[in-house]
Amino acid sequence: MSQGPKPLIQNTKCDCGHQNPTGTVLCEACGKPLTEEAEAQPILEMRYDGVARRSQKVNPGMIDRVWNFFSSVKVAIYLILLTLIGSSLGTIFPQESTFLNIDPSVYYKEEYGQLGHIYYLLGLSHTYTSWWFVLLLVMIGASLVICSLDRVLPLYKALSRQRIPKHMSFLTRQKVVYQGHVDEDGADWVERVKPIIKKKGYRVRTDGGTLLAEKQRFSRWGPYVLHIGLIVFLLAVLGRNLPGLHMDEHMAFPQDEPVHIKNTSYYLLNDGFKVEFYTEDDMPEEFKGKNKVLPKEFQTQAILYMCEANCDDFDKKPQLVELTRHNIEVNHPLNYKGLKAYQFDYDLTPILRSVSPVLINSKSGKEYGKITLSIDDPQREYQAGEYTLTLTQSFTDFGLGDNGKPVNLSPNPNAPAFLFLIKGPELPKEGIQYFYFPKQIDKERFNQEAINAQLAGGEALVQLDVRSMDDVDFSESTTYLNIRVDKAMPFIWIGCFIGMLGLIMGFYFTHRRIWLRIDNQTLTLGAHTNKNWFGLRKEISAILKQMNIEVDEKSLENNRGTKHESN
Amino acid sequence: MGKSKKSVQIVILLAIILIGVYAVATVVFGSDEVPKVGQKAADFELLGMDGGVHTMSEYEGKARVINFWGTYCPPCVREMPALQAQWEKWSSQGVEIIGINVGENKMTVENFVAQTGVKFPILMDPKRNAVASYGVGPMPTTFFVTASGKIDHIRIGELDLNTLDKQIEQLVNAK
Repeated sequence: MSQGPKPLIQNTKCDCGHQNPTGTVLCEACGKPLTEEAEAQPILEMRYDGVARRSQKVNPGMIDRVWNFFSSVKVAIYLILLTLIGSSLGTIFPQESTFLNIDPSVYYKEEYGQLGHIYYLLGLSHTYTSWWFVLLLVMIGASLVICSLDRVLPLYKALSRQRIPKHMSFLTRQKVVYQGHVDEDGADWVERVKPIIKKKGYRVRTDGGTLLAEKQRFSRWGPYVLHIGLIVFLLAVLGRNLPGLHMDEHMAFPQDEPVHIKNTSYYLLNDGFKVEFYTEDDMPEEFKGKNKVLPKEFQTQAILYMCEANCDDFDKKPQLVELTRHNIEVNHPLNYKGLKAYQFDYDLTPILRSVSPVLINSKSGKEYGKITLSIDDPQREYQAGEYTLTLTQSFTDFGLGDNGKPVNLSPNPNAPAFLFLIKGPELPKEGIQYFYFPKQIDKERFNQEAINAQLAGGEALVQLDVRSMDDVDFSESTTYLNIRVDKAMPFIWIGCFIGMLGLIMGFYFTHRRIWLRIDNQTLTLGAHTNKNWFGLRKEISAILKQMNIEVDEKSLENNRGTKHESN
Repeated sequence: MGKSKKSVQIVILLAIILIGVYAVATVVFGSDEVPKVGQKAADFELLGMDGGVHTMSEYEGKARVINFWGTYCPPCVREMPALQAQWEKWSSQGVEIIGINVGENKMTVENFVAQTGVKFPILMDPKRNAVASYGVGPMPTTFFVTASGKIDHIRIGELDLNTLDKQIEQLVNAK
């Protein structure tokens, strides 16, 4: 352990006999200035009533040094300034998090030139998630906690143990001072003034010829209540990263398919989507006649499920239990235990899910049987009457590759196509190949009949055909929802509320104290407040007036210690 | 009095250090961000061509080349034979090459595998779960993962077949 600097004042015992801790500026008991600095002040620095801060020690150790660093208001101000500079640096170019799917190492260079690249290399493209920025926030939090603790405890003690008699130099060095002559005995005068001061809302205590009046002390706790609020706020912000506390995802929900919400056991089903458009008559003038389509309102009829069993099973369907239903509209999200689903966007493009075509005889039109083809996950084998259909290839988005061979262009079901090997009566022994496009538009685009005629070497004996729309299953629309969980939010509000409470306490209420003593028919009055000196002077002059002492408010002001009498 | 004060101080400072370390660690090793080189490769649980469920942990201790592909992506199709050749060369030396098909159905993948004669493990990601946790954008994207499970290199786009062999050699020697 290193030796700390030698304290200036070894003896902290006051003339009044009170033993003060190291670092005390004004005697805890009588208020007499103890340090040379305080002695030299014409008007006393009343911060924390002159008590020693918690951490002021004669020989600080390692832990004390860390503690003292954080307990310094100067350090706190520097930390806040650094954070301010840091956070403004983050606003020069857009942050990485504002983009979807960019490669920042390239993007910043292309978009903002060399400066942008330097910006990226410095890590400023993700300022608010950089280690130094978060560290600054944590240090501000630490400084808040330690500064507050270091000051609020001694202040609380000082204010709850105030002695009534005060040293003469304490009184005459206040900002509001009155000295004058009274004709009667001190104790009697004090008794007479007591109810008058009480009427002004003060709590008054007397001790012989001395008096202490005080009101709205709670205002002094305002800053500390504000700090508690800020700490709660900071902790909530930092705690957002805890697993399960925060989610913000945009997800697609095709109609009639329960979709699993990642990292939860919830499934959400789009049970129907309604959209209503403005008619030409309802349109605002600037849109009329421009063929604009404006949605008036759209709504997802959502059902939220909880998965009970087979949740992560690949071959079994999950068992779902319904939790709640809600019609989601813009600004009317589904809300279930903190999980919110906001209407975000929609897409009215139908998506084919399955078709149930019938195998028919091309000539006679005789039906042999129906098969059901799933677009997403078709089976290998189908049976239609006496015919077997073996699926040899399936495509979700049929196209022709560079070599003229059929290829899948994308995993999206834009142009599904199926190649079957059909075997059965009247067909060649090895069967015939048959291409089937469920969508009419693709049948024409790829000329299904010509392909099949080519494959069968003449007109195919059998073909697949959908008889009615009942045999087609498709999702009519897809709704896009913004799924949000933010369990830290209530704490953020609580923090804001506590902080506001602290601000109100500190700003709208003033802590006022009046001390007075009468020695040999000389009245000495000193008063202190944390703000609105004008109001305090007015109050005191009114009190004195009722005691038949005419004092001009202005003259109560202790101008740079002119009223100080050396004792 | 003095003693209890000291222990309260220590408790507060410790709490601040803990919160600080946690807060800084979560932003530095971002939880829901795109994986970066040097980070631990994400876990997955996918159905394989062999009908079994496969997870990242079963390849623990092996250097891994994880290739995200689809039959609809011509460069992916082009580089398949090279991956197969590398797998034949390296699989005896503790390297596993894993192909993850993105978004297609079993039949499409089966047909493709049968056509191209790919023998290395092929997994299917129809719901794009692994795509999300690996932050895959354009395809193909290949992750080179060391035996200890750290991402050594990420290749977005077609593999450079001239350097693929060297790359795998580096990966085997990487710690």
